[in-house]
This record gives sequence, structure tokens and C-alpha cells, in this order.
Amino acid sequence: MTSPRERPAWGAIVPFLLPATVFYLGLTAYPVIRTVWNSVHEVLPRREAYVGGAHYVELWADDTFWRAVRNTVTWALVAPFLEVSIALLLALALYARVPAARILRIAWFTPVLMSYVVVGIVWMWIYNYDWGAANAILRAVGLGHWAQPWLGTTDTALPALIVVTTWMWTGFNMVVLLAALHALPTEVIEAAELDRCGWGAKLTRVMVPLILPTILNLLVLSFVGKMKIFDLVWITTKGGPLWSTETVSTYVYKRAFEWSTFDLGYPSAIATVWFVIVMSFVAVLTWMVRRQQKLEY
Amino acid sequence: MTPRRAMPGCALAAVLAAAALAAPAASQEITLWSHWAAEQPKRQFIEEAIRRFEAAHPGVTVRATWYEKNALYAALRTALRAGQGPDVFYAEPDQVEYVQNGFLLDLSQGIDWANVEPWAREIWTHGGKPYGLPLEAWTVELYVNTRLLSELGWQMPANLQFTHGQLLEIVRKARERNIVPISAGVGDRPFPGAFLTHETLLMRLGRVDYGRLLKGEIRWDDPRVVESLRAVRALVEARAFPPGVATLQLGQSHVYFHTNPGTVFFPMGSWYTSRAFNPPDQGGQPADFPLGILRMPAPDNAACPTCRTIAVGGSYVINAASRHPDKAKAFLNAFTTPEMGALWLQNVMVQTGIKADVGMVTGPRAGYFRDLAAANEGSEYFFGIPLQILQGRARDTFTQVVNTAFISGQVTVEEVVRQMNAAMGAR
Repeated sequence: MTSPRERPAWGAIVPFLLPATVFYLGLTAYPVIRTVWNSVHEVLPRREAYVGGAHYVELWADDTFWRAVRNTVTWALVAPFLEVSIALLLALALYARVPAARILRIAWFTPVLMSYVVVGIVWMWIYNYDWGAANAILRAVGLGHWAQPWLGTTDTALPALIVVTTWMWTGFNMVVLLAALHALPTEVIEAAELDRCGWGAKLTRVMVPLILPTILNLLVLSFVGKMKIFDLVWITTKGGPLWSTETVSTYVYKRAFEWSTFDLGYPSAIATVWFVIVMSFVAVLTWMVRRQQKLEY
Repeated sequence: MTPRRAMPGCALAAVLAAAALAAPAASQEITLWSHWAAEQPKRQFIEEAIRRFEAAHPGVTVRATWYEKNALYAALRTALRAGQGPDVFYAEPDQVEYVQNGFLLDLSQGIDWANVEPWAREIWTHGGKPYGLPLEAWTVELYVNTRLLSELGWQMPANLQFTHGQLLEIVRKARERNIVPISAGVGDRPFPGAFLTHETLLMRLGRVDYGRLLKGEIRWDDPRVVESLRAVRALVEARAFPPGVATLQLGQSHVYFHTNPGTVFFPMGSWYTSRAFNPPDQGGQPADFPLGILRMPAPDNAACPTCRTIAVGGSYVINAASRHPDKAKAFLNAFTTPEMGALWLQNVMVQTGIKADVGMVTGPRAGYFRDLAAANEGSEYFFGIPLQILQGRARDTFTQVVNTAFISGQVTVEEVVRQMNAAMGAR
């Protein structure tokens, strides 16, 4: 028999847990369950009909969906590596105390403070064919024949958007990596220097391995962010041209709100499939991070 | 309590009771959700109608909430589903999902249809019942900078219509002089890039077969369709459109036509005026701009060279769940008078589904309406642009392929045919 002192203080625990639990159940768990339920129904105002796996069968043959998957996965795989590797270089530059480091740190971090809407509009200007900065620079250096509507052609639209997210998020990654670098144990660095370890060797054999858990966490964060990207695409290209920047999120939105139907069943099927895919990726990445951390410690 | 002392109390109670009984009538409110938050002429017109309605119906007020279109559509989708929609709201005829899901009130009774153009009523008719009051109507026009045209050695044709061959010649001549021939911008709209293509298809096929094409009853590999697409493709290959057409926005394409850099032609809805007639510092055309209006170019072997598209745009509908359907209908009737029709023309400078005498339009823009009427004389109208007729995947494909990729030279005629055939058979 437990003594009153050992018994859980439910009177205190419940009031603390209840609000968060209610929010979680109402705003996360219920919508997820409801989306899965919707995906096997035709969901129209005032009437719902069970359709079994019909939406999933249709989804399997939906070219636009698979194109959106391809674009999103490409973005989610390419952007994190660009962001983190450039961020690491910038963080190392600041760590090495380059001139004007404080100003550079602020300048490089600033983009992440802006919303995707603002960033999208700014980059639409930069990519404008006639007077955008990108083409103006190309023309100024005699490469005018390379000028093109960067967001308007199928070959360049997705890479152009990946450049935008890289520009936006590199600063955030840089700050986190800089903090990790500053947190490195000084005795290890000093020991490496006593062993006459050069800059390159110190970086690749001591510093990067020590901050690898941070790098992996940043990669996972960036990956998840890109798997659900919507706002930037919506502001700049709406998925065009020819679906070359269509992401799963924009496609779900189009099917739910711009398809001349009130049916939420099919968009829910897309969302359900995508939820499973993203969760699988995240599970694998999390396992990799944990494995890495176990090896480290 | 003595009767004398009770008297004031009873009187007060009687007054309060009377006030309470009168209160519902006094506070009756019609809610209106409308697009055109940023389009002052249209908004002022609606506000004038509200003022007149409220003056004629004491005790009834209209509470208007103004939106931009996308925000309005998103708000309506959730509000209507939840039974929280306004009494009256803005809609366009392609939003058939409202009718299909029973959200709109049948307007067969209670609306003064005698003052509405029959074709405009027809566009809003489903199953024999009209569901919307068509306020805004527009035609597809080919606007011209007549000064640039004459500098290229051409004059406005007497019948106000070039052939495709002539247009191609002008395009080539303009390019030789480093002038972009035709302005268009599809960066933020799903339809302006398709104007030239669908008007070519309409003239080549004629109204009946063009309608069948859009219903999927004629395939896109029909020789007449392919021939029409090739005619447009020839213009694309002659670099008729701006290099940045795929990202140029609608507002920018207006400025591109009349100000900087300046093009010869501009295929556009007749609501061109809503931007172009603003002051130049607000994106309007220069005061002395030599504006001309032509019919779209006629293709070879055109089955109907006088055919053109007329479309109904902004309309008002009544929520089927409105608690004040009769008052809402009375409000819509505030628009259905010849005076209001003329006021629309005068203020908004775009056609309307309300019967109105163009002759009543006076002032500096009266000449514009005469030119517009001349360009439309003898026209045989097809109702609705493809975007208002196609649904689902066909609509999305038309937007991506015909509106954007085709005129920016990113797909061939064969690819357009393949994509459209595939999409017309899909959901």
C-alpha cells in the first residue's frame, strides 16, 4: 500500500495536463483521425458516402500527385544539404572571427526573420525577367543571353525556389552551428593544436565529428520543413509552370479549395498518404540521429 | 400601489414592449460579402446601391464586408459549410459547386428579370432556374496602340479584324524593330494567356463545335483544333509575346502594353478599363494614349469569323440558408434598374448584365464605349471563357498548358493536344 506521500497528486497533475491534452486531442489528434476517416468517404456538405479505397486507387494513377511528390522530395533532399553546408562555412568564418563578424552575423541571420510572403515577393522581383536583379547582373557582366524568367520555365523554376529557401534558412542554421562550435570543449581543440593538427584536419577530424549531432538535427528540421512547404510556392508560382513547382501541400490545397467541388475526401487521401510518407522519413532520420548520438556517447 | 402611482410604470412597460416588438424590424440586417475591396469604382457603385436600397426600405440595413477574391472564396467555403454564410455574396458563374451543393437560393421569383439581359440570366441558369444576378459582363477584345501600328506601316482594318496571316506579318515587323508585339501576363491569373488561343478555336470551329470541344465531345486532335493551335504556335515562334510572359502579372501586362516598354497589341477582357483608365501614376494608360479596339484575328477557314466570347464575371447570389430571403431579393432588385445599369457603365466602364443604354454614357469616356460597340457590332457570342466551363483536372491542365506553357513556348502543339485529351477524360 502506498503512503499518501507516494500517491500521485492527481489534484495537481490533472489541472496542469488537462489544457494541453484538450488542445492536443482537439487540434492535432482529432484532425488527423478525421482526415483518415475522410479519405475513405466522399465528404460533401450535409452528406457523406463511404467509398472505401476509391480515392487511394485514383491517387495511385494521379500524375500530378506523383509530380508533386517528386518535386517535394527533391526539395526536401537538396535544400537541407545546401543550407547546412553553407551555414557551416559561414559559422566557421564567424568562429574564426573574420572582420565585421558581428555585422555579418546579423546580415546572414536576417532573412529567417521575414515571412515567406515577403520573401516570395522580394524574390519575384529579383527573378523578374525585365528588371530583376538576377538578370540585370547577368546583363551587366555580358551574360545577357543567360537571362531568363527564372520562375517561368520548367527547367529553372524549382531550382530557383530552392535557392530562395537556402538563402532564407542558411542564417538560422549558421547561428545554431555557431553555438555548437562555441560549446566545443576547449581542451579537445587545444589538444589537437598541441598535436600540430592543421586547420583542415582539425575541422574534419575534430570539430565536425563533435558537432555532428547538431548537424543531423538541423538536417532533419530542414527536411521536415521542406516536406510541408506551401507559402513560398503559392506566392511565387502556384505550382507552375507545368506543375514543375507543384508540391504536395499546394496540390492538396488546390484539390480541396480550387477544384470546383466541396468534396474533402480526395484531398484527405492525399494528406493521409503524405502523412505516412513524411512520418516514415522522419522515423528513419530520427533513428539515424539516435544511433549517431549513441555512438558519440 | 395606487393606480395613479402604477400609471407611469405601466406606460413605461408599454413603451418598452412596443419598442421590443418593433426592434426586430428596426434591426433587420442583410449581410453582404463581396469581392472588389480594392476596386473603387465597383465598390462605390455597390455602396450607392446599398444607399438607395436602405433609403427605400427604412429599418433594413446592409452590412457589407469587402474582400479580395481569394480571401472571399476561402471564407465562403468554410462559412457556408458551417451554415454561417452571409445573406448575399459575390460569386462567378463557374462556381457551379455552390449550385450543386444547394447553397444558392433559386431566384426565379422576386427578381426583376425584365431589366436583366436574357443571355446574362442564361449563364446563371441551372436546371431551368437562375441563381445569380449578373452584374459584370465582359467581352474578349484585342486592344491596339494605333500609333505603333501605323509606325509599322499598318492601319486599323475597316472591318476591325486582321487575319492570322496579317497579324503574323505585323508581329514579324515589330520584332524587326525590336518591339514586343503582344503583351500578356499570366503570372497571377489562370486565363489571359489563353485569350488568343480560345478565340481562334471559337472562330475556326464555330459556336456549336467549340462548345462540344469544351465539353469533351470533340477531341483535341481534331484537325481543325490542331490547325488553330498551329496558327497560335506560329505567333509564339515569331516571338510575339514578352519573354517573361509566364511570370508577368496581369497588372504589369497592362503597363507593359501602354507604357513601358509598349507593345502593339493586348488581348484582354473589356475590363481593361478598370486599370487603364486610372490616373497614370496609379498604373493607368497615359492621357494621350492612342487606344484602338479590334476583334480577335480570324484564322484561315474560320467557320465563324464574327464569333467572340462574352462572359459574366462578378455577380451576386443569395444564400439558400438566408433568414431574410425576401429582403435579400429586394436588395438585388436595387441593381436591376436601367438607371443603375447606366451608372455601372458610367462608373465602372465595363459592360453589365443589367440592361443599360450605352447612349446614356456621357463624358470623356463616351468615345471608348462607341469604339467598343463598333468592335462588337454583328458579333455572334459564345458564353463563357473555357475556365468557366471546364472543371477539375481539365481546368487545371488548361491553365497550366494552354494559358501558360503554350504561349511561353514551353510545349508543342502535339503536347497541348496530348495533355488536353488526357485531361478531358479525367476527373
